[in-house]
Amino acid sequence: MSAARHDGPGTGGDAPTPAPHTDDQPAVPGTGEWRRLSPRTLLVHCGWLGAPLGSLALTALATGGRITAGAWITLAAIAAAFAVVTAAGLVRWARTDFRVTAESLDVRSGLLTRRLRSVPLHRIRTVDLTASPLHRLLGVTVLRAGTAGSGEGSGELSLEALPVVEGERLRGELLARAAAEAVAEDPVLARINWRWLRYAPLTFWVVGGVFVAGGSAYRALHEMGIEPWKLGFVRRAFEEFGNGMLWLTLPAALLAVIALGSVGALVLYVENWWSYRLEWADAGTLRVHRGLLTTRSVTIERARLRGVVLREPLLLRAGGGATVRAVAGGLGNKEENRKRSGLLPPAPRREAVRVAGGTLRTPFPDPEVTGRQIDGDRHLVRHPRAALRRRRTRGLLFAVLPVSALLAGLGAAFTPVLLHAAWIYAVLATPAVLWLARDAYRNLGHQIVGEHLVVRAGTFSRDTLVLRREAVAAWTFTTSPFTRRAGLVTLTAAVAAGEEGYRVPDLAQGAAAGFAATAAPGILDEFLTRPVGHGDRTPST
Amino acid sequence: MSEHAAPLLRPPRHRVDPRARAWWRVQALLTLSGPMLLTALVMAALSVLFFPGALPWLGPLLLVVLVLPAVAYLVVMPRMRYAVHAWELGERAVYAAGGWFWQKRRIAPLSRVQTVDTVRGPIQRRYGLATVTVTTASTAGDIKIAGLSDADAEALSRRIGEVAQDVPGDAA
Repeated sequence: MSAARHDGPGTGGDAPTPAPHTDDQPAVPGTGEWRRLSPRTLLVHCGWLGAPLGSLALTALATGGRITAGAWITLAAIAAAFAVVTAAGLVRWARTDFRVTAESLDVRSGLLTRRLRSVPLHRIRTVDLTASPLHRLLGVTVLRAGTAGSGEGSGELSLEALPVVEGERLRGELLARAAAEAVAEDPVLARINWRWLRYAPLTFWVVGGVFVAGGSAYRALHEMGIEPWKLGFVRRAFEEFGNGMLWLTLPAALLAVIALGSVGALVLYVENWWSYRLEWADAGTLRVHRGLLTTRSVTIERARLRGVVLREPLLLRAGGGATVRAVAGGLGNKEENRKRSGLLPPAPRREAVRVAGGTLRTPFPDPEVTGRQIDGDRHLVRHPRAALRRRRTRGLLFAVLPVSALLAGLGAAFTPVLLHAAWIYAVLATPAVLWLARDAYRNLGHQIVGEHLVVRAGTFSRDTLVLRREAVAAWTFTTSPFTRRAGLVTLTAAVAAGEEGYRVPDLAQGAAAGFAATAAPGILDEFLTRPVGHGDRTPST
Repeated sequence: MSEHAAPLLRPPRHRVDPRARAWWRVQALLTLSGPMLLTALVMAALSVLFFPGALPWLGPLLLVVLVLPAVAYLVVMPRMRYAVHAWELGERAVYAAGGWFWQKRRIAPLSRVQTVDTVRGPIQRRYGLATVTVTTASTAGDIKIAGLSDADAEALSRRIGEVAQDVPGDAA
């Protein structure tokens, strides 16, 4: 098959950086010729058979080798599925090929309906190499080329799968047209520092994670025909637990759950951020490399990078940590964007601010929210106090009232225990909600700093968005009867990147239009009025 | 920020077609009010036929939970929508207002416009109405102007197309 694949001029083993090709297009072997995917792709397709086969083996093990008729049927079904998958994979592999010409990346596929997709090289924004553990075992990798469309799937070409060396080289080819000017400062923005591992338990939803894991383990056992509740030692453990001193065993159990969750969080951190490196591959390309079992290498073009978000989830914030995400176009749909936009693992806040600044190529504006409207860019403009009232009311209305009312209602109907639960919940939840509302309000602020728009909001996750002003593609002003009465308006900046819409919640009604007009001039200027000549709405034609 | 006289965003100049009210009313009837009223009617009928004793408490309950909200929605929503919905095509941007409970005003510069779609639904066609959707590169920037008359919709989509060509584009 494709002999062209292996005869690279001794491509230096590990990570061939995108070669700084100069003016004329790369003289790569195979340029313009149709190339095949790796035949090992076929094996990857069989990977999903692992789970049923594994569970079958476990069943055989659990039942002591006595395989029932049901299991034989399962085995036959798996064999049939194997045949179908292999055949389909073979056809797909045989009928898919691709080439890189001077202008475009072309992929041909399809058995009967031949489909040729051609993406101009200058439209390719990101090139993502992803390898699952199975892919890595077979030495192949999946290449995804994202284009400017930023849309759902349509803008993306993926090649499943290529040998690793070939994938790296192809990425070099695809991104070769990016200007390869020397980066002035140290191109490496950040490397993994294992002391950051202490932030891992502050990120994962520790307790919930354990329950989720326990639930899926139970489901898996159930599928295999093992009922955990019927196992002797589980039942005995629960009886012991019930008989023991609850004031001792309950906190001990909670502690165990937290410990287990923390270990899970640590494992996840290591898996996600092993050999993490964030660097400017050249003047116009930012690259994140990370992962232990699943390695991920995301490349973001500078022109597509519209800003960064400094995220501080509640627990992480309490521990003085933060993470950084990119606001960039062409990273795929929402789900993919969430996976690919991470620029920094949970790390000390100072480090996060530094990395965010390095990504923006300008010091990260990290101002405090203050009361007065000060023009200095060291301060975020605080929103009206009505925003605080709104947060309090919302919290009480949606978090405290329904649960208390439900408990009280049930208590009145059935048992007075729930009645006590109701007032205890109300007494405990009210201050918590008020505290969260106050925190949310204190975090709320906005400002224009140089070329950027800074917005901070949120309490469960305090997010500071720094967005390039020219990236705003549209403004939306949203009000409801409640905000209209409170004199507030929520502004949304539409951006062709990241999460598409970025909100500035609960601005003063009088200040919103001015802020939007100043932040992104030229969009709404012609629809503005000065309050003096009030209300010049002309009746329709 | 120039704080001496904070500018305000005025509403768009042109209202949508008055027939849009009828369209919204039919829509309300088909989606929410109709089913609610029908449910109330069926329950009342069943109660009369089989459980006459339940009527004294079921009647007021149905009235408060189903009938009044359905009628209120049917009456209030189209009026409020008509008061709010408006549009305007400026020299450099297109501006639309919409909604009734949550009201939205959205402005997108013509330089970012990617496509202009005109859609006529089956009910809209009966009233000679159309919805114009202007898409930009960001899904949060798509502008939808519902309830235009056919002629207005056509003229608007043509003019946006023309103007968007003239304005130097950066439809990123």
